[in-house]
Amino acid sequence: MNTEEILTLASGIVSSWDWATEISRPNPKQLDVKVNSLQELVPIVVGLRVKRLGYLAAIVCLDPGPASKDMEVLYHFCPGDAVIALRVRVPRENGVLPSLCEVIPGAEVFERELHEMFGVEISGLHTPDRLYLPDDWPINVYPMRKDFDPNVLSAN
Amino acid sequence: MESKREPERFTIAIGPQHPALKEPGSFQFTVDGEIVTKAYVRLGYAHRGIEKAAEQRNWIQDLYLLERICGICSHIHATAYCLAAEQLAHVEAPPRAQAIRVLVAELERIHSHFLWIGVSAHEAGFETLFMYSWRDRETVMDLLEGLTGNRVNYSVNVLGGVKCDIDKEQTAAILKGIEFLEERAHHYFDVLTKDTMFLQRTRGIAVMSRNQAEVMGVNGPTARASNVARDIRVEAPYAAYKQYPVKMALDTRGDLEARFVVRVNELFESFRLIRQILATLPEGELAARFPRRVPAGEAVMRVEAPRGELFYFIKSNGTDKPERVKVRTPTICNMTSVIKLAVGNQLADVPMILAGIDPCFSCNDRTVQLREAGNKTSSMMTWEELRLHGIKFYEGLYK
Repeated sequence: MNTEEILTLASGIVSSWDWATEISRPNPKQLDVKVNSLQELVPIVVGLRVKRLGYLAAIVCLDPGPASKDMEVLYHFCPGDAVIALRVRVPRENGVLPSLCEVIPGAEVFERELHEMFGVEISGLHTPDRLYLPDDWPINVYPMRKDFDPNVLSAN
Repeated sequence: MESKREPERFTIAIGPQHPALKEPGSFQFTVDGEIVTKAYVRLGYAHRGIEKAAEQRNWIQDLYLLERICGICSHIHATAYCLAAEQLAHVEAPPRAQAIRVLVAELERIHSHFLWIGVSAHEAGFETLFMYSWRDRETVMDLLEGLTGNRVNYSVNVLGGVKCDIDKEQTAAILKGIEFLEERAHHYFDVLTKDTMFLQRTRGIAVMSRNQAEVMGVNGPTARASNVARDIRVEAPYAAYKQYPVKMALDTRGDLEARFVVRVNELFESFRLIRQILATLPEGELAARFPRRVPAGEAVMRVEAPRGELFYFIKSNGTDKPERVKVRTPTICNMTSVIKLAVGNQLADVPMILAGIDPCFSCNDRTVQLREAGNKTSSMMTWEELRLHGIKFYEGLYK
């Protein structure tokens, strides 16, 4: 399959959930899918996975800062030359995302990182322990957030 | 009669001090006799907060910072960053620069694979092979030093191109060097596929089927040894790989031996590629002009590091500093396979399974918190304070 065929197939799959998604093409190699309902995230990933488009390259979280109520999480699927980015919004406070581990076992490390660095709760994660941060890292302090203040560490 | 006693289980901690390479990572293996029944990983011992630091520096400073994520694959990190930044700024590096990027990337791959042959041989207790392969690795390190001035962190890239050129003498030196290395690689291929003792440690061990590899999302030589055709140089050619196509090295067996065979075959492909580039290096400029501020936008860049796919995501907000830099290194994807493959294998095979993916902990771990020995209080330092502390420390050392 060439890039165009991959992206056509992917947008075909995603459009089955058209009440919950918005599709755009920021560049010829990339398909951006805004997923507006978190319940539909796992089914869409299963859909991509069934058609062998489910190679999850990375999960990226973007924190716009405390002025915004939400953070954006991007799931980058990279079959061949193409990039399919599923974009979901999650609240900065008490945000919860469903785990993809049941569909993609390799997602576990990305989700553990997302949790400890940005404070997004992942429901259904088998090992929700810390992956990178030290054992004595204060709870509810998320270093990759824009408003992270390093001085909280010296206070302890 | 049925025994009601719980089967006795024993948990063995491997690491954090060098579980395979001289890098930190902590593993816990629950064993039933000699067989591993459960595996657990804990990383972060080399986490330096580089992604966070990248948000606080400008585009040029970040180039030098990100190049230091890894000492072995430093060039490919810088290349991925430059290509992504160039994509955002709509700047294209000149053809000669792109070819030099590929040339250095392939030299780096040779350096990395030779290093890895040594490390894995060491894990298998084959110290002679370890010593020889590391001796030979010096050849490619010398070539890189001759070309760029540095043995590691070559600093070849600048935003918009490269900063080192290749003259006739250097070309001759590289050709001579890789001729020697190719001869050695043939010898290692023989040793790795014929030495009975070594094959007992690799053949049929930790077999990963193609489906398993796809489900776990492994990449790089680890995936190609399980016949998963995933090589970014082929799938999504970047820099000058379109002009210099690569033949993917694949193996169907999926065991440790296959991972050796794939990597050595990749060495031969690198030698071929380097010769081709040196013979047909395009003339022209080395770098294009790169703006100080980068237009707002998002860029995804994928490149093939020696260990597999390296993924960069950069978001620019239109200023002289990036809004977000996300680095996903190959080892973190491949680490899942170690945890899954170790289960059911002999404990004694675990170091080889770990070494088999060629892990790079510095890569996968990326706030500096200082602890003074004997003093439980910790203190924070700004980057500037840390820099000054470093200067003072080394001044004292050399007085």
